[in-house]
Amino acid sequence: MVDGPLLKQALLGSLARLVAKQEEINRLNVFPVPDGDTGTNMLLTLQSAVEDIRESSATEVSKIARIAAHGSLMGARGNSGVILSQIFRGFGNAVQGHSELTPAELAAAFEEAANAAYRAVIKPTEGTILSVAREAGRAAKVAADEPGATVARVIEAATSGARTAVERTPSQLSVLREAGVVDAGGYGLLVMLEGMLHSVEKTEAELERLSGVQPAAQATLELPQEGWGYCTEFLILGADLDVAGLRAEIAALGDSVLVVGDESAVKVHVHTDDPARVLSLAGAHGKIDRLNVGDMSSQHRRILEQEVSGADESAAAPMSTRPNGVGLVAIASGVGLAEVMRGLGADAIVEGGQSMNPSTENMLTAVEQVPYQEVLLLPNNKNVILAARQVAALTAKQVHVLPTSTVPQGVAALVAFHPDRTVTENAAAMQESAQHVQTIEVTHAVRDSRANGVEVKKGDVIALINDKLRHAGGDYGAVVERALDGIGAHDYELVTIYRGSQASESEVNQLSESIRGRFPSLEVELQAGGQEHYPFILSVE
Amino acid sequence: MGAGSRFRVVTDSTADVPLQWIERYGISVVPLTVLFGREPFRDRVDLTDAQFFARLKTADRLPTTSAPSPGAFAELYQSLSSECEGIISIHIGGTLSGTTEAARLGAAGLDGFPVHVIDSGSVTMTVGFLAQVAAEAPDLDQALQRVRERLGRQKVLALLDTLRYIELGGRVSRAQAMLGTMLDLKPILSLQEGEIKSVDRVRTRGKALMRLLQLLRQDLPIERLAVMHAQAPADAERLREELAQELPEVEVVIGQIGCVLGTHTGPGAVGFAYLTA
Repeated sequence: MVDGPLLKQALLGSLARLVAKQEEINRLNVFPVPDGDTGTNMLLTLQSAVEDIRESSATEVSKIARIAAHGSLMGARGNSGVILSQIFRGFGNAVQGHSELTPAELAAAFEEAANAAYRAVIKPTEGTILSVAREAGRAAKVAADEPGATVARVIEAATSGARTAVERTPSQLSVLREAGVVDAGGYGLLVMLEGMLHSVEKTEAELERLSGVQPAAQATLELPQEGWGYCTEFLILGADLDVAGLRAEIAALGDSVLVVGDESAVKVHVHTDDPARVLSLAGAHGKIDRLNVGDMSSQHRRILEQEVSGADESAAAPMSTRPNGVGLVAIASGVGLAEVMRGLGADAIVEGGQSMNPSTENMLTAVEQVPYQEVLLLPNNKNVILAARQVAALTAKQVHVLPTSTVPQGVAALVAFHPDRTVTENAAAMQESAQHVQTIEVTHAVRDSRANGVEVKKGDVIALINDKLRHAGGDYGAVVERALDGIGAHDYELVTIYRGSQASESEVNQLSESIRGRFPSLEVELQAGGQEHYPFILSVE
Repeated sequence: MGAGSRFRVVTDSTADVPLQWIERYGISVVPLTVLFGREPFRDRVDLTDAQFFARLKTADRLPTTSAPSPGAFAELYQSLSSECEGIISIHIGGTLSGTTEAARLGAAGLDGFPVHVIDSGSVTMTVGFLAQVAAEAPDLDQALQRVRERLGRQKVLALLDTLRYIELGGRVSRAQAMLGTMLDLKPILSLQEGEIKSVDRVRTRGKALMRLLQLLRQDLPIERLAVMHAQAPADAERLREELAQELPEVEVVIGQIGCVLGTHTGPGAVGFAYLTA
């Protein structure tokens, strides 16, 4: 039987396993762009799900499931995080009123979890976390129908069902096949089930046997870029802990190391590029608790952003209220982009975007803050749209999500906003405006790859047109020129270049000169975007 | 005033009345004044539009503008009073200029002679159209009635190439025009019943021209329509051609923005002045 404490234990097991596999999941990225963050998104979502469970001593399984559903919904980040939150919601609904679950009821809850996730997605795609969840549910059901079924057997069956489904994802989605990876979200769910099984069965040998399967492409994947430090904090609970010995071992893996405590509990704080390695080391000495892993570059950005907005508020005159009573909340990464969007009327900026998707809760807080009952929410990134849509259900305000999937689309939409028009009129005009802008994002490949028939070498300059990898080459000017040719730039009037934090002044001047030389009819406008990961984002209109 | 009575139509230079109309209808135009520093120029008398914009481009300080004096109106009304039985004097909106007030003061000096001063609440060819409507009327009563009927139906839509001029002239602030500080945005403004409003902000001129057409279509049907421009004849012609096809029953006039209005719109402005049906 599954009761509250057992579900709690199982979820903590999922968390531990996901922590260990986070980077591996991040590397399962279709495109060679530095935005592989599925593992991080799922981990942060799951962390939010179990946050309150730790404190709960509820005996009923329904109570624990409900807390997890709520926590995951608030913490949902990225598409995979949102779907994960829907899985928890389905599970929570299925076990409502139950103080404990039989193996058959557990299997039914797994199935309902998958169904709920399918229902939540507008266009469900096979070969993703959805089909993995469904196959896990089906396998669980088959196992539960067998005589003498146990909880452990049901979870084990779900795990192997998930694994089969994960292995099948490249045959279901050509983008995965081309990139030589399995689906990251699906793999993340498998990892969670493995963690569950491990914590329920507590048999090391079993886990070893089960985790024998590795994603096919993993061996060829590059390690993440250096210097992306994670602030990692946790407690080690155990007996006869050697504080000094631990400190020495952990100090070798990072900096800003703080290891304090006694023989039964040690608090660890470290900035490291490899939290998983720190955790596996610590895990060998005792039980990990109160784990918190934060991406420091995003924390840093958040602090910068707060400083900017703080200065804004003190300097600006009291905001005049808009006649239409409609507020604007936009998601942006980079001080410059935030400033551009504020200048166009955004009342609140939620820090986030590429590889640091804001959570549903981050967006909810901003929506609640703006002094309007109706709010237009602009995700400005395709991986944020789903999480943004969750906000509507969590607030009494009327929230309209405009599905802007790039920064230029978001800016174009904001330009079309008018304070005299109703929210519906604005939404229509803004969407229309967003559709007429072309986005070119320029970055460097983080690994060798092939996508949309484009051959890419690690370090190449690559250009994505409207979120699709289209061009690769040696230097910015040549790649951008081909991208502009690709979209028929001669038919457009204006190119706005948003310079990222990695691009220098001379690089942006060089790029704009080369565009002016090649496309004399285009006007070129330069803006300091300050975004990370993308040296240049171009808006063509 | 009986049928067939003789009356005259007076307006001011901001009505941008085409030269042919002045001759055809015998409309009198009182010039406003543009001052480059201390150097005064009577609008379209001492300075042609082309000369004005050439000078505007090179001026280190923007010119200022001023309304005609009440005396200028009194003089004109006085001289016209000997050749007609009444005057209808139609002018730029009182919220935009002191011209209408000066005309009223000028008219007050003419004892017993009927001068009807009309505050159009508008500027450029919408005022010109009212003058045309008045001039086409058979008598002063009809002229007054027809003009008054049309007072709420005048509208101006304008795309400014830059907000610089109208902002420096103190008519519209960046905030009112909804222009942020980072991006280069082009404002589309409307003028209706004396009030300037921001209608839209656009990134590119091509898009802005399309938007102007879209906005005009929302106000159909239209009785009279002019495409106005300040040194942007190609854009104006493009708009006119587009509209000539769409609105075969309306005569689409192309008009030039004069010096006084041009001081506030700056060069490159283009738009519509029209009366809705």
